[in-house]
Amino acid sequence: MASRVAPARAAPSQMPPMPNREDIGSTWGYLQAGITRIMMDLEQGIDMQMYMGVYTCVTLQTTASLVLRANRAHRAIHNFCTSQKAVSLSGPSMHGGAHRGAHLLGEELYRKLIHYLDEHLTSLLETSKSHTDEALLSFYIKEWSRYTTAAKYTHHLFRYLNRHWVKREIDEGKKHIYDVYTLHLVQWRKVLFERLSNKVMDAVLKLVEKQRHGETIEHSQIKQVVDSFVSLGLDETDPSKSTLDVYRFHFEKPFLEATKAFYQAESKQFVAENSVVEYLKKAEARLAEEEDRVGMYLHQDIAVHLKKTCNQALIADHQVLMRDEFQMLLDNEREDDMARMYNLLARIPDGLDPLRSRFETHVRKAGLNAVHKIQAAEGDKLEPKVYVDALLEVHTQYQGLVKRAFNDEPEFTRSLDSACKEFVNRNEVCKASSNKSPDLLAKYADVLLRKSSTSIEEADLEATLTNIMTVFKYIEDKDVFQKIYSRLLARRLVHANSSSDDAEMSMIGKLKEACGFEYTNKLQRMFQDMQTSKDLNRDFKDHLDNGERTKTVDSNFSILGTGFWPLQAPTTAFNPPSEIASEAERFSTFYKHKHDGRKLTWLWNLCKGELKASYFKNSKTGYTFQVSLYQMAILLLFNEKDENSYEEFVSATQLSPDVINQTLVYILKAKVLIMQGGPGEKPGPGKVFKLNYDFKNKKIRVNLNLGGGVKEAKQEEIETNKTIEEDRKLVLQSAIVRIMKARKKMKHMQLVSECINQIKSRFVPQVSDIKKCIEILLDKEYLERLEDDELGYLA
Amino acid sequence: MAATDAKVWLQSSDNVSIEVDRAVAERSMLIKNLLDDLGSDTISQSNAIPIQNVNEAVLRKVIEWCDHHRNDPQQNPDDESDARKKTTEIEEWDQKFMQVDQEMLFEIILAANYLDIKPLLDVGCKTVANMIKGKSPEEIRKTFNITNDFTPEEEEQIRRENEWAEDR
Repeated sequence: MASRVAPARAAPSQMPPMPNREDIGSTWGYLQAGITRIMMDLEQGIDMQMYMGVYTCVTLQTTASLVLRANRAHRAIHNFCTSQKAVSLSGPSMHGGAHRGAHLLGEELYRKLIHYLDEHLTSLLETSKSHTDEALLSFYIKEWSRYTTAAKYTHHLFRYLNRHWVKREIDEGKKHIYDVYTLHLVQWRKVLFERLSNKVMDAVLKLVEKQRHGETIEHSQIKQVVDSFVSLGLDETDPSKSTLDVYRFHFEKPFLEATKAFYQAESKQFVAENSVVEYLKKAEARLAEEEDRVGMYLHQDIAVHLKKTCNQALIADHQVLMRDEFQMLLDNEREDDMARMYNLLARIPDGLDPLRSRFETHVRKAGLNAVHKIQAAEGDKLEPKVYVDALLEVHTQYQGLVKRAFNDEPEFTRSLDSACKEFVNRNEVCKASSNKSPDLLAKYADVLLRKSSTSIEEADLEATLTNIMTVFKYIEDKDVFQKIYSRLLARRLVHANSSSDDAEMSMIGKLKEACGFEYTNKLQRMFQDMQTSKDLNRDFKDHLDNGERTKTVDSNFSILGTGFWPLQAPTTAFNPPSEIASEAERFSTFYKHKHDGRKLTWLWNLCKGELKASYFKNSKTGYTFQVSLYQMAILLLFNEKDENSYEEFVSATQLSPDVINQTLVYILKAKVLIMQGGPGEKPGPGKVFKLNYDFKNKKIRVNLNLGGGVKEAKQEEIETNKTIEEDRKLVLQSAIVRIMKARKKMKHMQLVSECINQIKSRFVPQVSDIKKCIEILLDKEYLERLEDDELGYLA
Repeated sequence: MAATDAKVWLQSSDNVSIEVDRAVAERSMLIKNLLDDLGSDTISQSNAIPIQNVNEAVLRKVIEWCDHHRNDPQQNPDDESDARKKTTEIEEWDQKFMQVDQEMLFEIILAANYLDIKPLLDVGCKTVANMIKGKSPEEIRKTFNITNDFTPEEEEQIRRENEWAEDR
């Protein structure tokens, strides 16, 4: 081979003379000189004469048997017929002959080209043996690029062969016939590549290992090798397509194996010598490095596999070790390290589940500890604010952690939620009564929304209300919260000590958003009632101004819709003082005129007023007493005379003794009235009460309407708790009926679970309670027992 | 890409140099590849591309065709639709262009084949096919001046083999 190349090199511009077209031997000699020139000396350029010479020579060779002018017609027809695949009726014998002739000659040329390439490649293979490592890489890349460039030229010069002979062979379904360029690649693969690729790969891997050890390498070399390997992927079944099979087998596989071995060894040693936290950093850096490597000089196809291999060697193999460290990181709030661990373990399947469960346990413990601490510090006098703040603090802390270290991942948020639910509903404070959490939360809301000297800024208020909603989300017994909240709201509204309508509306809006219209319906109605009442009072005033002007009392009325308000009519009889009674009567008439057919029930127990008194010896300005209506009724008796007996109180007011006693507590304590008898005696029948002209107080306005509140609240609380159980039964029953009405028939078990599903947004029902309710409904004949543990709905 | 008014020179087999717009010459895949491979700066008036197989008259004829079709979309050998291949319809300009004597017609076809101008080759072959269409073997022989060298037995056998293709 080498000797044959020599003459062409010595006299590059001297091509052999154009050969006689009849003689394949001399023709090939001419062609070979041209091809060799292209293959070995392209940098010297090839001139046009040679280019056209070789092209023409190939053309003539392929059509050698058809040059006679007489045959031109057939040749042309033949061309048309073979390429068009149309049926022609031309002279059949000429047709057949022409076909055969062209066919044979094309094949000859093709075989000779293959033979030439084989020789060239074999000599390259021989030369390659003297190179190793980087020198081998340079050699491979140099020869590859020279070879493929030449292939492109030769492909063009042999275009006539491609167009006719090769096309026909392929059309006829011959295997292993390729166009000239592809043929070059096929031969490269067969002769050179399959014997050399292992050595090339060894060199590549050595180079990569050097780089992994921190040395700078010429990575464009690897890139070129990769490109070469990829180019060699020819689809045997369809030469127009390429596959990555060759690349995958010869490059990717050994590359991945080497990567795995490298990182297994490295990480094992690193872990043995360093802390886990250090290892996290190392692994993170290594993974980023490998990702960069793909972009730098590898084929994109390897990215996924390489990542997987690295993940296995760097993370999965050490995941137990990492997880064991997680608790330590949690305890020490090492956010950055946790984020790092999260990012690493997120890369492997099921890597995070154990972290999540550890996280959940940790948060639950933190919540329980926080509650334990305040419980120990505050004891029974636990302030709602302290309790809620403690819960919130834990939540905020770990929500922040989820955001910053765990990518705000929904799964971690779920773990956080279930941990919070656990410690909000089942902590030390709740041990006494499961209603404690909703109770304290509602009370905290009440503190915030009530007028007080320590009221907070509006913006802060809104934020705090949002925080309350955060805790609210975790409360299981939402119905308890609703009950208590509505009782407290009623009190705020009736006593007109709500801090702002806007804040109230905002809170109701938040609850509505969280639990739906039904949940806040009553709250909203209560709120509306107060607004309507304002208008009504204005109308009433106008009405009075227009009529007789005998105003002794300045009155204000609230109309509260029965059923929406958690309020009860007084149990005691009451005979209001005449001043009040006449005003109430006037209002009743006015109201009934306005809204015919409505029934008004007076909630005397909730009424209050102010009395201006000016009988004092020591004060000219006098005092104003803020009193309940009951207190007012008693005090007004002293307008007539300075002394009244207990019996006179009873007969004038008609109040029950219990209520009278309670009413008197603060009047006596403030010494507005003086009871005859020694200290420590309790009011009761036979006692006489005397107006105290020597009354003195620092304030001009004296509030006597105090005691009722506290006692009343206690009373209400007990009642609320009682009604919760009753209400739950009703809620359960109505849910069961609703479900059965829709389904008609249902298995017992299914019904129970469906029921739990529907109810759980309000409270967590006990299965035994549901069973009891089903029994009740069976007794009431809403439901019937069918065969096979099934229940049916009775319309 | 070279400027649209770039020129190349083609030299016919009888040594006449013809100046052609590069875009026109590149209708020939042979010339297009050559220009791509060798670079256009190797071409000059004194160094024309030798077209060894085509004489001046035929070359001018071929260039005329290329000039007329200079703006046709570049053909792609693979995606030429079957429908276009199967019709023998020829557009009007091409029909007029092909109204030449038989000798010239075959010269054009050979040149188109050599220069690798697929659409011109197709037009030429279609023209010939239209000359054959509807004729008996005897008429075809007359048209193309072919002597019948079949024996009667051979002829009968061929007819039997191709019976399926006869018009009935």
